[in-house]
Amino acid sequence: MLETLFALLSFFLLAGSVTILLARDPALYTTGFLAVMLAVAGLFGLLDQSFLFLAQVMVGVGAVVVLTTIVILTINLKEKELPKEPTRGPWLVLGALVIAPFGWMLYRGLVAATPDHFPVLKEGFGTVQAMGSVLFRDWVLPFEILSLLLLAAMLGAIIIGKKEQSYDLES
Amino acid sequence: MTLSPENFFALGVLMLCLGALGVVARRNLFVLYLSIEVMLNGVNLILATFARVRPDMGGSVIALLMIGVIAAEAALFLAMIVQLYRRRRSVDSDAYDRLAQRNWS
Repeated sequence: MLETLFALLSFFLLAGSVTILLARDPALYTTGFLAVMLAVAGLFGLLDQSFLFLAQVMVGVGAVVVLTTIVILTINLKEKELPKEPTRGPWLVLGALVIAPFGWMLYRGLVAATPDHFPVLKEGFGTVQAMGSVLFRDWVLPFEILSLLLLAAMLGAIIIGKKEQSYDLES
Repeated sequence: MTLSPENFFALGVLMLCLGALGVVARRNLFVLYLSIEVMLNGVNLILATFARVRPDMGGSVIALLMIGVIAAEAALFLAMIVQLYRRRRSVDSDAYDRLAQRNWS
C-alpha cells in the first residue's frame, strides 16, 4: 500500500520536474510546479512528518503555487514573447553530463551516511505538539531570524514592485 | 519491497539535478524560478528524510524554516520578474544583462 503510494508520488514528482525542465507553454510548467509541490507534501506524509505535510500544503501549495500561478496568468505571455532558446538541447545534454556525476556522488554519500532502514518511532513524532516544543525550545533564534527575513523580503518586494521609482535602470 | 531511506534520497537528489539542469539550460525566467523552487524542495525532502532516519525533530524544524525561506524567495523573485517584464516586455534572462552594463559614476 505505502509502496504503491510512494511510486505514484514519485511519478508525479518526476513528471512535474521534467515538465518544468522541458515545457515552453506557461500553463504546462505551472501545472508541473503544482504537481511537484503536492507530491513533496505527500512524501512528507509518507515520512511521518504530519506537520511538515500540513505546512507544505498550506504554505507551499496554498501560498507559493497560487502566487506563482497568479503572476504567470497576469503576465500572460504570448507565443512570440517567449524567449528563443536555440541552445536548449545542447545545454541540456552538456549540463546533464556535468551534473550527473555530482548527483551520483551526493546520492552515494547520503546512502553511506545513513542506516538502510527506517527506525521505529516514538509516539508523537512529527506532530504539531512535538514540532512546536522543539521549535520554541531549541530553534527560537533561527525562527526569529526567519521572521526578520520574511519582513525584509516583503519590504523588498514592495519596493521593487512600486511603479514610481527614484532610481531608473534606463538612465 | 519496503520503503527505505535510499528511495527518498534518490528522489531528492534527482530533484536537485533536474532543477540545476533547468537553471543551466533554460532562459525563460519563470522556468529558472521554478527550477530553483524544485531544487529547494529537493533539499527539503532530503532534510525530512534525515530527520526521520535519525530520528530527530531538528531536521524537521529546519525543513519547516526552509518552507518559510522558499516563501520569501518566491515573493522577491516574482516581484523582480514582474518589474523586468514591465520595463522590457520580456522574460528572457538575457534582459537582465542591463544590470551589468550600468554606468556607476
